[in-house]
Amino acid sequence: MSGVLSGAPAARPARSRLRFEGDMRGLMALPALLFMGIVFALPLGLLLAKSVQGADGLTLNGYARVLGDAYYRGVIWDSLTLAFRVTLISLLVGYPAAYALARTGGVMQVLLFSLVFLPLTVSIIVKTFGLTIMFRREGILNWLLINTGLTDGPIRFVFTEMSLVIGMVNVFLPFMILPLYSVIRMLDGRYLDAAATLGAGPFTTFRRVVLPLTMPGIVAGSSIVFAISVAAYVTPGLLIGERYMTMSMVMAKAFLNFRDYQLGSAMACVMLVIALSIVFASSFLTRSLEQRGGR
Amino acid sequence: MTSVARPAPASGRPPAYLQVAQLTKRFGSATVLHDLNLTVEKGEFVSLLGPSGCGKTTLLRLIAGLMRPETGRIVIADRELTRVPAHKRQVGVVFQNYALFPHLTVAENVAFGLTNQRRSRDEIKRRVGEALQLVRMAPFADRSVSALSGGQQQRIAVARAIVVEPAILLLDEPFSALDRKLRETMQIELRHILRDLGITSIFVTHDQDEALVMSDRIAVMNEGQIEHLGTPADIYTSPKSLFVLEFVGLSTRLGGTVVSSHGGEVEVETAFGRMRAPAQFRPGSPVVVAVRPEAISIGESEGDGRNVVRARLTDVVYLGAKTQLHLRGERSGDLIQAEIARLPPGGLPSGSELALTWRVEDTMVFPAPASAAS
Repeated sequence: MSGVLSGAPAARPARSRLRFEGDMRGLMALPALLFMGIVFALPLGLLLAKSVQGADGLTLNGYARVLGDAYYRGVIWDSLTLAFRVTLISLLVGYPAAYALARTGGVMQVLLFSLVFLPLTVSIIVKTFGLTIMFRREGILNWLLINTGLTDGPIRFVFTEMSLVIGMVNVFLPFMILPLYSVIRMLDGRYLDAAATLGAGPFTTFRRVVLPLTMPGIVAGSSIVFAISVAAYVTPGLLIGERYMTMSMVMAKAFLNFRDYQLGSAMACVMLVIALSIVFASSFLTRSLEQRGGR
Repeated sequence: MTSVARPAPASGRPPAYLQVAQLTKRFGSATVLHDLNLTVEKGEFVSLLGPSGCGKTTLLRLIAGLMRPETGRIVIADRELTRVPAHKRQVGVVFQNYALFPHLTVAENVAFGLTNQRRSRDEIKRRVGEALQLVRMAPFADRSVSALSGGQQQRIAVARAIVVEPAILLLDEPFSALDRKLRETMQIELRHILRDLGITSIFVTHDQDEALVMSDRIAVMNEGQIEHLGTPADIYTSPKSLFVLEFVGLSTRLGGTVVSSHGGEVEVETAFGRMRAPAQFRPGSPVVVAVRPEAISIGESEGDGRNVVRARLTDVVYLGAKTQLHLRGERSGDLIQAEIARLPPGGLPSGSELALTWRVEDTMVFPAPASAAS
């Protein structure tokens, strides 16, 4: 070996300048921040105020009712497990789809893209009603099952948890696929080549290279789907109704039926805290993933 | 795949370590490699040299198993690999931009292949340490790879590829991202490491200097075929084709027609007079007469056994490593460009009459390219 080179790292200039530009870019969020401040944060503040408003001054009675009551705790738990199941299934179904979308080209890609995007243009109510028709006792699904001999008699789908999970995955799947797609598309094919030449078969390459490098997409997609699933109202309302109460349905009932603003807004605040924790946890996770990879 | 016969070892010699036989690769209607043959001996360092688009990277990817050929065979160490997927070939690759895994540290990158081989934790730790020592990157083991400079990343890429003791090491323009000075240091250092380890290596480059510095043998590629496979000296002093002559080193070239041929020598009529050269061509053949710059003397040293070009110097173009002399022939008024390594002391005034002479033995003759025949 020729002892010529020292291992001194090369200097990185340009960094301070980049950071300054980053600050300027931050200012560009100002219009959106103002808009959200007035349209989103202000009403939210009013809601928060309602949740602690009692007959005679401030009270935590609303929260005591929500968190102290086994029924409402059950609703919160059911909402969380429902969202978890929907997220998990969306991830398992969406990841291969996003991978195919990112790695194919030409006509195939256009076709797959339309398959992902078109459902977004159809209203949730239409999609969900369509599902209830399909799920009916005399619906097409049962007709198929009976005529192919898979079952003897009709199976009950409507108003079951299974139909609820299927229906919600149907509605929220694009929100999983899109962030996954954008991350997988950025994945450099040379990493896959490098892994292969280092003895990694397809499965090992996926586990040791593709999965870690696309983790930010998994985190983003999962947190979006979880957040909107946990707050879902229309789909559970139509597919299962009061057999499976979610937080949103409790809220809606409290506001619309009982006129119990304290209960409704306390439940809303609990949901908000859950959603915020997801947002913070996922941003934190993404940041730490990026720092591990990007620095 | 059955019709292709195994290349027979010549006169009882064991078959070459790497055998590439009748390899053809197409992308759609474009044939990138055409019936290509290459053999490499164990421990050899062979460069694939050629312009971009000549198929050299495709050949490398075929040997690595990252692509499948249409026809042909690839055998390494008596192991038929043509249909074996990349991850079962035990072939090490240093990629052009290194392709280090950004989510892993330096040590984890180097350990990647060993982990896939299910080596014990202790063995992995020991061998990763040794490999990092070898490329003098041991203090960087726990750094993130993206915090490294280009030269350091390259060392890690080399360590990652050789730590698994591959059957063959493939390098795809590994120096192209480095600045010139660092590149030259790394070339010599890498050559030392590979020679010490005795690893058979194939190196893709478009840079002739790089190929000349590093290689035991060079395969000059053009349009999907190897035009000349030989030692650097062989490639330079007796190129097998006009393409090889032009691609490697400098030369002065004159078009002409063979007028006579006897005793292993031809006489060629050019715009600058008759040239003699040791070659065999039928009279009437359109040819190109060429000579390397270091064979040319400027001035009147005429005598028997030398070719002479008399011309007036119109321009001297200094290009750093070489100097181009633009000359106009006295008789015909034709222009030629002579490439020489350096000017004689005192320089050459524009407009001066020059006589360029060189020995007949140093004169090369090639068939004229089809396009220039008109």
